[in-house]
Formats: sequence, C-alpha cells, structure tokens
Amino acid sequence: MDDYLVGVLSNIGIISFVALSAYLLLLTGEISFGQQAFFAIGAYAAGIATALWGWPLSAALGWGAATAGAAAILVGIPTLRLHGLYFAIATLAFAEMVRLLFELFRYQLTIDGELVGPNGSDGFRGIRYIFENDVSSLQFLVLIYLLLIIALVAFMLLERSRLGVTFRMIGEDATLAELNGVAVARIKVLAAGLAGALAGIGGGLYAHLTTYVEPRIFDVMLGVHSLAYGLIGGLGTALGPLLGVVIDIGLLESVRVFAGYRMIIFGGLVAVLLIVRPRGLLDERAVHYLSRVWRR
Amino acid sequence: MIDFVQNTIDGVMIGSSYALLALGFTLIFGVMRRLNLSYGPSIMIGAYLGTLVYVQLSAGPLVVVAVTVIGAVLAGVYVERLCFAPMAAGAGIASMVSSFAIWMQLEQAAILVLPQHTYPFPPLATVAPLELGPFLLRVDHLIMLAAALALSAAVYLLLYRSRFGLALRAIIENPTAAHLVGINVKAAVMLAFALASAVGGIAGYLVLAADQQVTPMFGMWATFKGLIAMMIGGLGSIPGAIVGGLVLGVVEAHSQWHFGPQVRDLVAYLLLFACLVLRPGGLLGRAPPMREPAFGRRGA
Repeated sequence: MDDYLVGVLSNIGIISFVALSAYLLLLTGEISFGQQAFFAIGAYAAGIATALWGWPLSAALGWGAATAGAAAILVGIPTLRLHGLYFAIATLAFAEMVRLLFELFRYQLTIDGELVGPNGSDGFRGIRYIFENDVSSLQFLVLIYLLLIIALVAFMLLERSRLGVTFRMIGEDATLAELNGVAVARIKVLAAGLAGALAGIGGGLYAHLTTYVEPRIFDVMLGVHSLAYGLIGGLGTALGPLLGVVIDIGLLESVRVFAGYRMIIFGGLVAVLLIVRPRGLLDERAVHYLSRVWRR
Repeated sequence: MIDFVQNTIDGVMIGSSYALLALGFTLIFGVMRRLNLSYGPSIMIGAYLGTLVYVQLSAGPLVVVAVTVIGAVLAGVYVERLCFAPMAAGAGIASMVSSFAIWMQLEQAAILVLPQHTYPFPPLATVAPLELGPFLLRVDHLIMLAAALALSAAVYLLLYRSRFGLALRAIIENPTAAHLVGINVKAAVMLAFALASAVGGIAGYLVLAADQQVTPMFGMWATFKGLIAMMIGGLGSIPGAIVGGLVLGVVEAHSQWHFGPQVRDLVAYLLLFACLVLRPGGLLGRAPPMREPAFGRRGA
C-alpha cells in the first residue's frame, strides 16, 4: 500500500472514534458540539505518558481514554439538567475552554538533553514513540483498525443489551423513560463518560500518528464534523458514523476534484440530508430493512 | 483607578458591538425559538461583498453599507430557506445543526471569492479620539454605541407598536392560531429573518469599519460574540441582548487588561458556561422548558 493511502485510511480510522463518540450521545438524544475536547484531552494525556513518562503505548492509550472519560463525567454532571440547544451550546463553550486552556498549558521536561512536552500555543512536539520503537505506519494502521473493530463490536453488543435499549429510550423520550423507572441522570452521565473515553482513544492514536499536536487542531469545526458524520451516515447503527467519515474524508478530502469545494459540498449535503432523511442514510428503518434482506 | 475607568469605557464601547450582534440573534430566536449559527457567516458574506466593491470599484461608505446589508440579508434568507423553512415544527435542533453545516459552506464560498487572508475595510471616522479629562473616546465607537441603542429601540418599537410586530408576537405565542386568524406565517418569519440579518449587517459594518479590515475569521467571531452576549442576557429578550453585550464587553476588557487575550477568551466562554449551568434563561430571559421535543424522531 502506498503512503498516501495508508495516511488517508489512518485518518478515517482515527476520526471514526470522535464520530462514534458524538453518535453515542446522539443515541441518548443529545447534540454535542464539544467532543473534540475529549479528543484533545486524550491526545495530550497519551502523548505526555509516552514522551515524558516513558510509558508503553497501550498503557498510554488507556490513560488517555481514562482521563478523557473522567473529564467527560465531570462536565456531564453540571450540564445534565440542560437539554437540546442549551446542552449543545454548553458543550461548545466547554470545548473552547479546553482548547484555550491547552493554549496556556506548559509542562516540559528535559529528555535526552531536549525540552519535550506541551508548550502552550506552540503545541506539543516530539511524541516519537512509534519511531523509537520501529512501528511502521502499516502496523500502526492495523492497530487503529483493531481498536476500531473492538469499539464497533462493543457497540453491536451494546445495541442488543438492556443498556443500549435504555440509551435509545432516553433519546426518544426522557420523561417517559424516567416514569418507567430508568435512572435517566445516571445513564446520561454514563453515556457522556463512555463517549469521552472513545474520543480519548482516538486522540491518543492521533497524537502518536502525527507526533505533534497543537491546540488549534481541536477547534469547533472538528466537533461539528464529528457530529455531522453520525447525522449523514445514519443513527440506526454504529456503522452510520463510519459511513459519514468515509464520505467526507475518503471522498471529499482525498479526491482532487473536490479540492476547494469540500466544505461547500459537505455543508450542503448535511443540510439537505437533514431535510430529506433527518436520521441519516442508515436510519433505523433502513437498518431494519437491510437486516431482513441479509437474513433471507 | 484611571485604568479601571478607561477599561470599563472601552468595554462598554466594544460591548455595544456585541449587543448589536446579539440583537439580530435574539430576534431570530425570539420569533423561531431556534438558533441560527450561520448568523455570523451570513454577515461575513455581506462584509466580503462590501469590501469587494470597496477594493474593486473604490465605492464610498454609503454604497459599502448598502452592499454589506443587502449581502447579509440575501445570505440570511438563503439560510432561512435551507435550514429553517423546510424543518418540521419541533425540529429546532436539526435547524441548529443544519445552520452550522451551512456556516462551513458560506465560509468556504467567501474564501473562494477573496482568497487572501486580510482585506481592507473602509473606516467610518478618521478623526482623532475625543479627550474627556484623562479618558479617551473613539468616535467610531461612540457611533457604534449610539447605533446599538437606536436600533434596539427601533426593533422594540417595531415589535410592540406595529401591526407587523403584533403578527410576529402572535406567531411566537402560537403559530397555528396565528395562521388561522389570517397571518401569513411563512412570509412574516422570512421577513423577521431578513430584518435580523439587516441588523447583523449594520453591526458587522460598524465593527469592521472600526477595525478597518476583514478576515475569514469574522464569521465565527460574530456568531460566538453574539451568541455569548445573547445567552448571558437572555434568549429572545431585547433588553437582555443589550445588557448581555455590555456585560461581555466590560468583562472582556478587564480580563484582557489584567491577563492578556487568551485569558480574555477563556473568561468569555467560562461566563457562558457558568451562565448556562446556573441560569440557563440568562439574566433577563425566561428559563427554558425542561424538555423540548426531540428532533427527527425515528419512524417520523
């Protein structure tokens, strides 16, 4: 495989984690413009763990996910009683706060005679784990997709479990769910935490793939894109957001013809799909139909 | 002490531009109960057209104002047609997301037309600042403050003293009943949208004339400042938009003076976040209903 293809596929895999993270919240009926914050937290936490503390990659990715999940739970608790656009704007404000905090965040250690670590708005250079340990970009690609498949399988299991049904129930009608004895507040915090951890894994992978992160990457456009992936691809299955990512990054960003017009096409696509298919291409009805065809 | 007063004055002045932006925002929210996140970018389209006639045809200030406002109104109506008119009642969240998608579109369109990062914008007043004892007052900032107060008074009068305002308020109360008594709901909503965009266009012109330049970041800036000011003041409230804008301006001016621009932005978002968590209705607005209808229900 040539390098360009590996690069595009790695990008698709990593962004899929943020898309899945936004999708999980969409299932519970909440729009979040702020999942990029947890992607950022995961990226910084995992990068610090390998570059500054000398941790192995697996522990660092776990640490990134845990930090991002914990942060998501901490934000989830005060924003719980908000709903709809109030929740969306609160997550937007939070994510911008996180980005600006990383602009101020400095934590550098001297490693091998060189200052390494986050340096405010100059970013965080030298996350060289995959070079120092001779991980090829192809091997890293396999790692990304292995983790993505694990996440997808977990989603498939979740959709069949009682918890998954509860998520969708809250998304349909939170009041009705509450009246049926669902602990809505607790389940929502759980969903927020899981979504944060998912984005955190993506962030950790991203930091190690690019070896360099800066706060500017984690701006609100990343959050809106990851939200839009679920809305384009569909809310019926976890494959929906992946379809959205493939359409955007695989088609619009990577094919030359669309250069310069990517945002125009993508923005228009989202707007039109929200009118004609409010729950995306692979919505519940389409998934139900496809699964019947599949079984026949 | 002198610094404190000067900072507060500067804050009120820049806050009046936030108030103007919030005014258009709150007008749309008041009528539709929906957020239009493309509000800033549609103003930017107007501003880009304004700078285009200024640079290419060296047009005078009046022409630039007219072109900016007309451009903002056209872009605003485009957003309304695509993101708001076709959405089912109760699908307010879908409108919000859709307007964010159109935001990307408008921004990229502006960059395609004028690809440089910065373009000049004609200044409003090149006279020296007024001196009041030890304090300085910029003339263009004073015009901005006067425009904010005058426009909000005008919008207030329009809403509460005219037949069109009565129709709009009837639609706010109950769109179905308004339709039944013969109000053309669709036309009135589109007109309100155009009006809000026009207010935004004037706000955008005044801000950019004070800065004397326009960049592609202006759309995001306008949306965020207007949004924060409106949310602090109270969604859908006209006095709230003014109060929110001024509060945001003063808070920003002081935090910039003490801690620099990064902390200034951080404080602005912190203010928004704290306001949403502690008082979601804003200072002067009503608290939101706990459960709004979900968007795009399955099977619907």
